[in-house]
Amino acid sequence: MRRYFYLYLCLFILSGCSSISPWERGTLAKEHMSLEPSPMQNSLRSHQYGSREAASGGSASSGGGCGCY
Amino acid sequence: MKPHRVEVHQAEVVVAAIKSTTLAALTAAALALPLTTIYASDEETTFQYGNYQDGARNLFTTQSGLKPIEVDSLQSSTKLKLADRVRLAFNYSQDTWSGATPITTAPLAFGGNRASPFRASTISGASPYLQPNSGLVYVDAQHNPLQQNLDTGAYSKNTQLVHTLSSASPETRKQGDFRVGYDWDEASLDVGAGTSAENDYNSSFGNIAGRLDFNKKLTSVNFGSSYTSSNTEAMLDHDAVPYIEKSTFATRVQSLANGVKMVTGSREDWAGNVGITQVLNKSALIEGNVSYTASKGYMANPYKVMEVLFIDPTQIIDTEGKLKASMRAFLEQRPSERNQWTESLRYVQHIAPLDAALHVDYRFFHDDWGIAAHTFSADWIQPLGDGWSITPRVRYYTQDSADFYTPYLVSNQAASKSVIDPITQKITSVKYDPKLLPKNYSSDYRLSGYGALSGGLSVTKKFAKGIELQAGAEYYTHAGGLKPGGGGEGNYADFDGYLINAALKVDLSTLSLANSMHSEHGEHNHHSHHHGTGAPAGVMFDHVLSQTGETMIGYRYMYGNQAGMTQNGTNTVSDATIVNRACGGQQCYVTPHEMSMNMHMIELMYAPTDWLTLMLMPQFMDMHMTMRPLDGAPKSPSMTTPLGAAILHSAHEHTTGGMGDTGMYALFNAFDKDNQKITVSLGMSAPTGDSDIRLRNTHQQDLGYIHYGMQLGSGTWDFKPAVTYTNQIDDWSLGAQVNGTARFESSNKAGFALGDIFQATSWGSYGWTHWLSTSVRGVYTLQGELKGAYRGVYHQIGAMDYTNNYGGQFVDIGFGINAAMPSGKLQGNSLRVEWLQPVLDDVNGYQLPREGALSATWSYMF
Repeated sequence: MRRYFYLYLCLFILSGCSSISPWERGTLAKEHMSLEPSPMQNSLRSHQYGSREAASGGSASSGGGCGCY
Repeated sequence: MKPHRVEVHQAEVVVAAIKSTTLAALTAAALALPLTTIYASDEETTFQYGNYQDGARNLFTTQSGLKPIEVDSLQSSTKLKLADRVRLAFNYSQDTWSGATPITTAPLAFGGNRASPFRASTISGASPYLQPNSGLVYVDAQHNPLQQNLDTGAYSKNTQLVHTLSSASPETRKQGDFRVGYDWDEASLDVGAGTSAENDYNSSFGNIAGRLDFNKKLTSVNFGSSYTSSNTEAMLDHDAVPYIEKSTFATRVQSLANGVKMVTGSREDWAGNVGITQVLNKSALIEGNVSYTASKGYMANPYKVMEVLFIDPTQIIDTEGKLKASMRAFLEQRPSERNQWTESLRYVQHIAPLDAALHVDYRFFHDDWGIAAHTFSADWIQPLGDGWSITPRVRYYTQDSADFYTPYLVSNQAASKSVIDPITQKITSVKYDPKLLPKNYSSDYRLSGYGALSGGLSVTKKFAKGIELQAGAEYYTHAGGLKPGGGGEGNYADFDGYLINAALKVDLSTLSLANSMHSEHGEHNHHSHHHGTGAPAGVMFDHVLSQTGETMIGYRYMYGNQAGMTQNGTNTVSDATIVNRACGGQQCYVTPHEMSMNMHMIELMYAPTDWLTLMLMPQFMDMHMTMRPLDGAPKSPSMTTPLGAAILHSAHEHTTGGMGDTGMYALFNAFDKDNQKITVSLGMSAPTGDSDIRLRNTHQQDLGYIHYGMQLGSGTWDFKPAVTYTNQIDDWSLGAQVNGTARFESSNKAGFALGDIFQATSWGSYGWTHWLSTSVRGVYTLQGELKGAYRGVYHQIGAMDYTNNYGGQFVDIGFGINAAMPSGKLQGNSLRVEWLQPVLDDVNGYQLPREGALSATWSYMF
């Protein structure tokens, strides 16, 4: 599983060598194209998942309390 | 030059205003933009309410009378630019939860949940019952649980498992954190820290994160690291303590007064991540991220126990094929070390024909506890035009169980055995050998193997002036059967739940731009003057919007507390008087020591016509109360009686929190001439706040409803009229208001109604400059006693439990400061703060005096 993951990682880094001109970047600048379009809602959902599931995080974010309920 | 990200936003506003230049604007923005790290905005403030509700668990033979757990969350987040390249973000969040969750798992045959002895006539409850039949149960030769048929007396195999539920009184967690960031042309660095506090768990954390852009900003490398230090100080469930084996916990469990047992522990978490974001083409980007977290210390849940079935291997099976077994409960044990790895991919694709964005995420998590988990999620964000957008989403999660997870343990040894000393012939009882138990064990369903499927929908409406409203709902279902390839936990652990949220986002950078454009077009901002010299912060309903289509949003915060010596009327009284006089014909056991309340209100105003303003005001609140024993109080009854248990429970801090009542008002000017105005507000308050919050059962006693003053809402529909007079004379502003609250109903569903309120207030303020004024105000308040009383169980242990100890006459003097931003970036914003100092408390019956109240408001009109 992990091997594939790194393979993909390398592949898309290489694919990044193609150039996209500045005037072609309008679509990517749209708000709903951002990686995190609803950060607040996302944090609420993550908090709920975190209190119900064993796998947590994946980013270097921290805090969140016990979730002991 | 201004940093690039602001330009994106400005560009977007220009798009809204001047549609013909869309392409030019976006292109201009794109030239400088690091596309791999697009932020919604650099300057915004967001307020969010969330509610999560677990569904009822299947207890098979018993129906739980306990309410499943419910979590109310409030979050606010503000991002600002301190300087050209310096960002500041601060967040505050609080969760309040109450209700029942599983404490352990056991074979159904052993009767882990039983009908509650109280409320049996109305609802059958279930309470933790960790050691049924004095611990004696029967199994067959293969150690399968045997259940007795109560009619025939015969035993038969029953391997069905069931959770044992335990309920919690309301508890609150509060978290505050901040982050400071600096932007270079092709890099950024963020440093943050924060703290989270709850009754039994405190943590502090710090983090650092950075970004480097390459390849004409088509590639970004992200990296970060964080450290968290946490401490657990958990009081064990009173009801469970007698049944919990402590032999394996000698070092962790402390004994406090009243037989209270406290579990203490600390843990540390170090985390690091590195990721890369890549623009693939003009309509797709991808991010890959790898993270590692090392955790050390106490990671168990202090409220979860493990049932261990002790079977003496030396016994002989009886004629019915039964073996005796003994059930004992242990606090769960988890390894003191955990190493976690997460690898994730996020992919965003623009769907040109629909202008939609498809977000597909995959995350692989694994740790050295034996858990491997996969998460797949997909969001489809579909703009619908006119600022509307809709996002359906689906998520699937699955995990393997932890190595040390098992629903219950079987140990091949006797729980206790009589041993005869060969020399003295003395018989002693020898307990089990804890060393024969596994080192770690947990029956927490969150460590079992299962799958979880969830789906939801969010709707967002963006208003042109930088305001965005969002509402979302998500349904979540957890089932062992959803684990691919089988092997998931049994269906006894299945549950579902739903999460709803509502958010209000204000884009501060758009606001400021909208304002400057407004001014350039010669439409002078007409309201800033009005606002700068407006009423003090504690006054509501004092103004209307004057133009059709005008909108105002505001946030109000109020804090108030009561503390000091208890009063009767205007006189302070001794403990002896409270004991003998304050509790009707009974004697009081305890008295309030300190009570405080925080209230957050969102004010949304809109003028559908030029003479009418509509206002919607949702409220969120939390309340805290501590009590103290009274000198000369009668001896508390045994804690095995409901009253004794309630008195013992009063030693804990009581908290409640969540959504309050929602106000809906219509305002208009009845008179408006020469700077004099009479504003009338007619409205009502809807009972959206809980008025039937109960304490959890403790000492196997039903503690019933929490004290009246701790409920979050009135529970009744209330009529709330107000008439306000204002007059503006040069730099002076004078005002007076009468307002009232009358209950439409004589009692709420819990059985009582709060007293009606009449209030009269008058103020004067002086404007020192065109943007700053100060005010002095007098307030007179009259509130009636509580009417009716709780229908159902509640225990009267102090003055706060008697309805005639509510209300009274109160006089306050207020000192306030109002500031309005007349120009510049924050034009249209106003801030008001007022402190109300009590002058007279003439209370009904016996009550704590008030110490003061703070009101702070922020409003923005456009």
